[in-house]
Amino acid sequence: MAELTRERWGGRAFFLFAAMGSAIGLGNVWRFPYLTYEYGGGAFLIAWIIGLIILGIPWMMMEFGMGRLFQKGAPGVFEGIGKKWEWLGWWPVFVAFLIVTYYSVVIAWSLNYAVDSATVAWGEGTAGAANAGGYFFGEVLNLSSGPTDLGGLQWPIVGALAFVWIVLFFIMFKGARIIGRVAVWTVIIPWALLIVLLIRGLTLPGAVDGLNYYLAPDWGALANADLWFGAFSQIAFTLSLGMAGMFAYGSFIAKKADVNNNAFITSFSNCATSFFAGFAVFSIVGFIMQALSVSVGDVSASGLGLAFITYPTAISMMPAMAAATGVIFFICFFFLGIDSAFFLTYGGVIAPLRDKFGWGRAKVTAVICALGLIIGLLYTTGGGLYWLDIVDRAVSFYGLLITGALACIVVGWFYGVEKLREHLNATSDFRVGAWFDWLIKIVVPAGLLFVVIYGGFKNDVPDPGYGGYQIGPFNGSHVIWLILGVTLLLSFWLQAAKTKGLKEVKGE
Amino acid sequence: MTTAAILTTVIMSLVFIVGLVFCFTQIGKGGKWED
Repeated sequence: MAELTRERWGGRAFFLFAAMGSAIGLGNVWRFPYLTYEYGGGAFLIAWIIGLIILGIPWMMMEFGMGRLFQKGAPGVFEGIGKKWEWLGWWPVFVAFLIVTYYSVVIAWSLNYAVDSATVAWGEGTAGAANAGGYFFGEVLNLSSGPTDLGGLQWPIVGALAFVWIVLFFIMFKGARIIGRVAVWTVIIPWALLIVLLIRGLTLPGAVDGLNYYLAPDWGALANADLWFGAFSQIAFTLSLGMAGMFAYGSFIAKKADVNNNAFITSFSNCATSFFAGFAVFSIVGFIMQALSVSVGDVSASGLGLAFITYPTAISMMPAMAAATGVIFFICFFFLGIDSAFFLTYGGVIAPLRDKFGWGRAKVTAVICALGLIIGLLYTTGGGLYWLDIVDRAVSFYGLLITGALACIVVGWFYGVEKLREHLNATSDFRVGAWFDWLIKIVVPAGLLFVVIYGGFKNDVPDPGYGGYQIGPFNGSHVIWLILGVTLLLSFWLQAAKTKGLKEVKGE
Repeated sequence: MTTAAILTTVIMSLVFIVGLVFCFTQIGKGGKWED
């Protein structure tokens, strides 16, 4: 009789690269550097490191550890704690799936821009720099007047999106062993490209001024709650936690293998990459300040603005190697994003579905990839950016933080975090003390709820400056809560469905 | 670069280097990786 077993990584290095690749994503480049500048430079870094130690690392240990303990993805873990909690494993599955439907579109934009950069399609010199924003919103996105005005599909984006999902399918359909091996390259390549981009940035005039803005500490900012919100939110979003996937990635770890040390290595590597990426970004910011004679406040941006407007602006102004720098930057973005995308899809969605329904890997991978592509078409329309903003706010802010806090509370208080700690310590390279229990029971949920309450209810969909979010009588906030409500109901519906279980055969 | 910016760079680099070196020196002291 064939031996039944959970799929495995095939080596510790493959797991570590897969976990690092999932954590290291676009946010390391487009969010962290800006937050550091915005919230006090070196002072922000202190709060960020504190957040890493008291929130990020214990939360990651919990997700890896519970996945390893139950040998299941998120829904299977919470079903194992008690059938009534299974929904809490499915809710982040919806979070992961909805995130990857638009995250894949951002990766597709990167591919479009890698091609466009070869000819600096938005123009060179000051005219090109002035056109960077108009090119992104007008020619690439063909942005409409609002979310109800979809306009037509942007076919170059559709083509790139189809390519992204085909790549994702071929990475995932054989499971964790191939994912781990691919992740080695999807982590090392962007590291190498970031080094190239840093060297290019540092050789540009004005780079040092940018680095001073990035790093100079404003100690007074430590007394400002905004700084702590920024630091804790960055830790909450940067480690790819609260998206179900880390439970599944942990479940592919063998039962006698380390968890604690792997969580520390993954977290430290991710944050070191963020810190390093800040040099590559702010050297460019300093260059733009000098080239266009503008202040840092006029240049630095985060999110889509940094990637698709600020950086193209710098490319337009570069005295040499402009096209090559642009191509390298956007290929780097592609690699940064792709391993987070297959983490969200495989660990976040496919593994939980297979645990529940016992479906074949290749078949469910094909269906999920096709579904991801079809839903992603919404974001390739002229109104797609509005929907991207709304769905992003719903799932990667509220959904991620609320489910993350609830998961820690259930594991901490209802399952018994002491049992988890004993399980972790029994096989890990180093042991953790009772402090871990209190971090999971109180500090992590409190930190995540602080971010939700402080940052969330002030402004559901921040005005990006390119239009509104009115959808008939409803505004963006209504849609956000509708998305959260529907995904919660679907989670209870999946909880009620019968678990058929996965029958994996060794070597599958 | 300003002195403050250099100090921030040095301190943060040390945090990550020391942290990662410690973690890598611990590898293999606990669990066994069996696939």
